[in-house]
Amino acid sequence: MEGSDALLAARLAAGDDHALAEVFDQLAPSVFGGALRVLGNGSTAQDVVQDVFVELWSHPDRYDPMAGSLRTYLIVLARHRAVDLLRSELRRVARQERHYRLTPAEPPGAPGDEVMAAETASVVRAAVQLLPDGQRRVVELAYFEGLTCREVANAMGIPEGTAKSRLRLAMAKLETVLDRQLLEST
Amino acid sequence: MSTAERDQATLPMGLRERVMTASLLARGAGRALPEVPDIAADEAFARAADAFYGMLGALSEDGWKTQALRGLDVQGLVGHLTGVEEDTHRALAGDPAVADAEHVESTQDQAVRQAGRSPALTRDEWHHAAEVTLELARAAGRDRAAGGAGEHRAARLAVHGMRLPLGDLLVVRAFELWVHDNDIRRAVGLRPSVPDPPVLRLMSDLAARMLPYAAARMGLHPMDVHLVLTGPGGGTWDVAIGRGAGGDPGQTGVTIVTDAVSFCRLAANRLTPAELGPHITGDEARAADVLAAATALALD
Repeated sequence: MEGSDALLAARLAAGDDHALAEVFDQLAPSVFGGALRVLGNGSTAQDVVQDVFVELWSHPDRYDPMAGSLRTYLIVLARHRAVDLLRSELRRVARQERHYRLTPAEPPGAPGDEVMAAETASVVRAAVQLLPDGQRRVVELAYFEGLTCREVANAMGIPEGTAKSRLRLAMAKLETVLDRQLLEST
Repeated sequence: MSTAERDQATLPMGLRERVMTASLLARGAGRALPEVPDIAADEAFARAADAFYGMLGALSEDGWKTQALRGLDVQGLVGHLTGVEEDTHRALAGDPAVADAEHVESTQDQAVRQAGRSPALTRDEWHHAAEVTLELARAAGRDRAAGGAGEHRAARLAVHGMRLPLGDLLVVRAFELWVHDNDIRRAVGLRPSVPDPPVLRLMSDLAARMLPYAAARMGLHPMDVHLVLTGPGGGTWDVAIGRGAGGDPGQTGVTIVTDAVSFCRLAANRLTPAELGPHITGDEARAADVLAAATALALD
C-alpha cells in the first residue's frame, strides 16, 4: 500500500470518497487495534478511529507521503489521540479523587455511571501505585494535586526538566499498564 | 510479526458506516482541498484574457511569425481568436447564423487577414474583441438575472455547434484562450502555463460535465465514471455516461484518476490518453474509451 500512498493522499485531497473508503478498509483494523491497545476500551477506541479518519479526510494535506507511510501516520495519529484521551481520563479521576477527599461521604446516587467511573478510577489509581516512587509522586502531584511541572519540581526539590521527563516516563508506563489492566477489567 | 500486524483488530459492526458518515459530514465529497475561491464565469474569462494578453506582450517580432497551429503562425492564430470572439458577439446578440458555423472555417478569414499587419494591431484587435465579449456577456447576465423567469435565465447560447448556458460559454472561451496560449508558448519555446486554480476548477468541472456528450458522440455504452482530478483546481465527479447509467453509482463503471491540468489538456486534444497515464480502477478498455471520447471535446 505504501507505494500508492501519494496517490491516495492526492485522491483524498481531491475529495474522492472512494479513496477514503479504501483507506478505511485497509488500515482501520490497525488503527482500531492500536487505539484498543492503549485504551483497553472498545467503545473509546471506536471514537479514536472516527477522530482519526475524520481528521485525515478533513485535512489530507497534513499527511506528507515523503515523511512516511499512511499506515504509520494513521497509527501514530491514533496513538496520540488515545493518549490524549487517557490523560483526560487521568485528570478526571484526579478531580474525582480530590472531590472525594474534600466532601463528606454521601449515599451513592445514579448507579450505572458512577459504578463505571469508580471502576475506572480504581484501575487508574492502582496503575499509578505500580510506578516507581519518583515517577508516582510526580504523577500524584501533577494530576491528583493539580500542580504545574514547575511546582512539582519545587515540591520535590528536583530540576523542572527532571520532573517533566519523569512525567513522560510515567505516562508511557501507565499507557502499557492501563492497557493490560483495563482489558482485564472489561 | 510487526507491531502494526499484532495490533490489527476485528472492527466492530457499524464502525465503517459511522466513520464514513462522520467524515462526509465534516467535509462533503467532491470538493478539492485546499479550497479555491469560487469565481464567476465572466471573471474566469477575464483572467484567461489577461493572461493571454500578457503572454502576447512578451513575444518578439520573430515570435509572431512562428508557425503555431494548423498552418497558422502566431499572428494568424490570434486572428482566429478574434474571429471566435466576433462569432461569440453574434451569438450573444441572438444571430442564428453562427449557431452551427464550423469553429475553424468560420474564423479562417480573420486568421488569414493578419498576414502583413503589425503584431500590435493584431493584438489590440483581439484584446478589444475579448473586452467586447466580456461587456456583452455581463450585460446579458444582468438581463437574465433581471428577467427572473427560469426559462429566460437558463436560455442557451448557440455558437459553433454548441448550445450552452452563458456561464459555460464563457468558461469554454477561457478554456480556448488557455489552450492557444500554450500552443503559442510551445511554438516560441516558452514554458507552458497553468490556469490559476479557480479558473482551472471551472474548466475541470465543465470538461467533466461535458463527458456524457462526448461519449454519446462516440457511441459509448452506458457506464458510471468516477472521475478524480488531483491538484489545485481539481475535484471529484460521478459522471453517468449513456442511457441507464447513474442509477446505482459505484456498482459498475470505472474510476479514472489523473491531475486536473493534464485532463484539461486531454479534453483540448493536446495530450493523448497514452500520454495522460491515468490511474484506472475497473475496466481499462472502457476507461480508455472514455478518455478517447474526452479528446473529442476539443474545438481547435
